[in-house]
Amino acid sequence: MNAVTISRVCKSFGSVRAVDELSVQVPAGSIYGFLGPNGAGKTTTIRMIMNILRPDSGSVEVFGNGSGDKRRPAIGYMPEERGLYRKMKVQKALAYFGAIKGLRGPGLSGRVANWLGRVGLADWADKKVEELSRGMHQKLQFAVTAIDEPELLILDEPFSGLDPVNLDLIKAIILEMRNEGKTVLFSTHVMDEAQRLCDRIVLINTGRVVLEGSVEQIRRDHTADVVSVQLGGDTGFVAGLSMVAGVIAKDNRLEISLADGCDSQDLLQALIGKTPVLAFEVKTPSLHEIFIKEVGAGNA
Amino acid sequence: MRKILKIAGREYIETVKTKTFIFGMLMTPLIIGVLIVVSSKMGDTSGRRLTVRVAVADLSGELSALIEDGFAKYNDSHRNRQIRVIELDCDLGFDAAEEQGKEKLRSGKVDACAVLDEDIIDGSGKIRLYTHKPKASILDALWAAESILREAVVDRRYEVVDIDREQVAKLRHVPTEQVEISLGAGEQVQSKGQRMAGMMVPFFFMYLIFMGMVGTGQHMLSSVIEEKSSRVIEVLLSAVTPFELMGGKILGLAGVGLTVVSLWGGGAYGAAVWQKLEVDVSLQLMVCFIVYYVLGFMMFSALLAGTGSICNTIKETQSLMMPVMMIFIVPLMAWFKLVQSPDGSLSRGLSFVPPLTPMVMVLRMSAGSEVGSGEIAATMALLLATVILVMWLAAKVFRTGILMYGKRPGLREIVRWMRQS
Repeated sequence: MNAVTISRVCKSFGSVRAVDELSVQVPAGSIYGFLGPNGAGKTTTIRMIMNILRPDSGSVEVFGNGSGDKRRPAIGYMPEERGLYRKMKVQKALAYFGAIKGLRGPGLSGRVANWLGRVGLADWADKKVEELSRGMHQKLQFAVTAIDEPELLILDEPFSGLDPVNLDLIKAIILEMRNEGKTVLFSTHVMDEAQRLCDRIVLINTGRVVLEGSVEQIRRDHTADVVSVQLGGDTGFVAGLSMVAGVIAKDNRLEISLADGCDSQDLLQALIGKTPVLAFEVKTPSLHEIFIKEVGAGNA
Repeated sequence: MRKILKIAGREYIETVKTKTFIFGMLMTPLIIGVLIVVSSKMGDTSGRRLTVRVAVADLSGELSALIEDGFAKYNDSHRNRQIRVIELDCDLGFDAAEEQGKEKLRSGKVDACAVLDEDIIDGSGKIRLYTHKPKASILDALWAAESILREAVVDRRYEVVDIDREQVAKLRHVPTEQVEISLGAGEQVQSKGQRMAGMMVPFFFMYLIFMGMVGTGQHMLSSVIEEKSSRVIEVLLSAVTPFELMGGKILGLAGVGLTVVSLWGGGAYGAAVWQKLEVDVSLQLMVCFIVYYVLGFMMFSALLAGTGSICNTIKETQSLMMPVMMIFIVPLMAWFKLVQSPDGSLSRGLSFVPPLTPMVMVLRMSAGSEVGSGEIAATMALLLATVILVMWLAAKVFRTGILMYGKRPGLREIVRWMRQS
């Protein structure tokens, strides 16, 4: 079962094609990351999932629902541009958004109290929104998004502006919600967070999918390229091996880039017998490195 | 529907509790009251005022006694406003006298100059009045001087034909008394205030509609702009449809408008009763008033919601709203004509101009016109159709415009939005 199915969606603004034949499937019950440089089309895609924008072509389904009005109730959405009524009190704001999302009565007041506690704003319940610090505002915004505990949370850049403590708090809540069976989709260009949190990611650039899959799989797919070795004897011959594309000496190690189509195990075979191999490590690149490699350092 | 009500509720509370609203709500009638009191006190012009100097050249040579007499009487009855007459030398004829007067005017020795022709008495001559940059504060004295001179001429004419002017006045005098009878026993003399009130009631009703629509409409603009600029709009649109949001706003503000209208209307009615003025307001008028108001407000506020959605600041909205506001000025300017002939072609025509329908129809009905129920039904139907059309189009513009920041879209683009399904 997919929480979100995006099929060949296109969206242009004037002459700029923001999203170009994009297809993505977000499995239900997963934490899914939309990665990409600024201007890649992440927010536009998210707005199309929310039916705030309509695709020029292609289709979007949320839990099998194609109609915008039907899919809205299943989603809690935190836009990139945070916004709440500045003069409203914290508790009132939560209650108001809970009410327009269809909660009512004791259920609503229970949720309000619960979420105030969960994001650590219980002591600020009677303060006005404009009195909150940026981090607190962010947490309140998150609580507003999650107040009706929707099946799908869509968070646009949820970690921007959070200090490490609040960052961990929000991440913990996201994991809790996933464990409760909810689906969380978020966009970010902070790769470390995505690597730690996401089950699957899609990497988008200029409105197209560059990479898609589970974080583990993607990292494994990119492993074979670089090997870090520590050799006991002379290292001069290494650069001359057929499977080696480049060698960089780092401290007492060598970082060897493999030539296209070569396997790290062949390299190991070639090394053994010529020189003692003290350490041999196939480097698993971080998402950050993959991102830079795929998108280009200029965009990172 | 619950969501719409929830949004309407917030809109109502948030609007009603703002300081600008409370201030405007209470201050407007207060300011009007103060103005009325002050302007009635202005009438008796207390305090010493400038003495006005008028040069008079009487070429007929027959009027000097009468003129002197007239000004003396005026000065006796207007202690704080004296008019001094300076007689000009008329021996050298019209041109010389005129030149002399103009010279005095230009040098500031007199405030006005009057030259009466030689043949003024037999009716072929005239009074020429000259001024040079007159100050607004002496205008009343200039009018008084003109009428004193004219009366002097008329007096002399009566003398010439040997008719007693007072006798004529007595013959012309016929006392009348206007009596407005009430339904029950007893009759009462209709006071001037009562007649004024009768005249003003239609205007007041029309003005209430105007204030309820236009005054409250401003809140729509500021509310939309605030949600747009505080970026709360996307959060809202993740919970409700654009149409629900717009509908909730319109409903909430219509409630605000009804509050204003009923408080002011009630206040005015109370004041009228307190002043023992009879104001006759039928149930039919009240019902029609509310229906016309609600429909008119829905149309206008939908228009404003659409307009607000494509703008980023209140300032931008103002330039767009100017032409719309001009339309509403029409009945405010023409109200007297409309009251005089509520069934005339102008009144009927304007009744079928949807933006004006509420104001004009309420004006006509309260002016005592027997507007047929067919006409009421027809105007309401036309208005309702317009409301639906405007809301439908506004919702489309609102839907797209509300998420656009930066440059305001052009007319062509807006028309494209309207065509989108």
